[in-house]
Amino acid sequence: MSFFKNFNKGIFKENPVLVLLLGLCPTLAVSTSLDNALGMSAAVLFVLISANIIVSLIRNFTPEKVRIPVFIVIIATLVTIVDLSMQAFLPELSESLGMFIPLIVVNCIILGRAEAFASKNSLKDSVADALGMGVGFGVAIFLVSFFRQLLGTGEVSLFGVGISLPGLSSNPMAIFILPYGAFMVLGCLLATMRYLEVRKNG
Amino acid sequence: MSNKPSIKKELVPVLFLTIVVCIAVVALTLTNDATHQPIEDGKASATVALLSELFPEMTDYSLDDSTAIYVIKQDSDIVGYSFSTSGNGYGGAIDILVGINKTDFSEGNIILRGISIISQGETPGLGTKILEDPFLSQFQGLNTDNLALSQNGGHIDAITGATISSSAVTDAVSSSVAEKIDDLRQLNLEVS
Repeated sequence: MSFFKNFNKGIFKENPVLVLLLGLCPTLAVSTSLDNALGMSAAVLFVLISANIIVSLIRNFTPEKVRIPVFIVIIATLVTIVDLSMQAFLPELSESLGMFIPLIVVNCIILGRAEAFASKNSLKDSVADALGMGVGFGVAIFLVSFFRQLLGTGEVSLFGVGISLPGLSSNPMAIFILPYGAFMVLGCLLATMRYLEVRKNG
Repeated sequence: MSNKPSIKKELVPVLFLTIVVCIAVVALTLTNDATHQPIEDGKASATVALLSELFPEMTDYSLDDSTAIYVIKQDSDIVGYSFSTSGNGYGGAIDILVGINKTDFSEGNIILRGISIISQGETPGLGTKILEDPFLSQFQGLNTDNLALSQNGGHIDAITGATISSSAVTDAVSSSVAEKIDDLRQLNLEVS
């Protein structure tokens, strides 16, 4: 498979969140604002790419018996590095993402890609796969956040710049900011993805 | 394939995992060294920022270690005291910084300078209104005798749709003042 094909599959055909239904926990929990979504996607993308690179590089020496513990040690180390760096240099973002940065360790997307893809494929393909999956996760969490922020607060903003809808911002549907709103938005997005896929494949 | 356990086969996975863990430990140690100081600095400057928000005239402060009360000074005069407390909100702990004006601390003469929220996990758009002014400013200059929600006979109006967050903050401030009052009186005598 070509680099582009490996990259592309993560975004639409095998989107980790919208098709494979992996990594739902952060997608539902931190998707209350676009800023959070961006921070979370960046953290996941970094961990995913680094983990895939390392796992792919050591794939020929890794003994079969201990491969899962090895992957987990690598992922946990990377996540801790991200967590500490965020606390040091982006304290506000770290505050609003809270517990969900350390929880990237148990995000199924990352261990899943390490085990299912990077441990069997070349460095180049693994990087493409990580980029695709990371961006796919980012797109999904961005979409969920966009609708939740828009409907739940009546305004959409990124880095403090944004627009507010006159009718909606004075009387927002706060349910979309609450956890069950996340499920409703995600459900509608999953249905849309399914509809597009069925229409495309006949 | 032979069924005899070969030493090499058994040992290689153990050694491999050990090496991976050692590399991870080194990487984490280096990261911790690089980030430890910025994290501490960030926390300290956040405290200073919060204190000077409550006491804009603050030029210096010191922390009384045994009671965890900040003494706020303007030049060499003490203008007030501050301490942190924690309430149980809708989304976990709400950490609050309480500012008290310097008075003689006699009964009925304990006046809040104001409060600010250090950290919270309340519902965005509802509970997070505890961070904003119609709610927060109610604490400014309030006599602690009146420190309760208006539905309980006090002077604090709760936020519509966020009664739990509102009462968590109010109750935490009220009980922490009651708890700290003896320390405050003691400290006030010692330092002035």
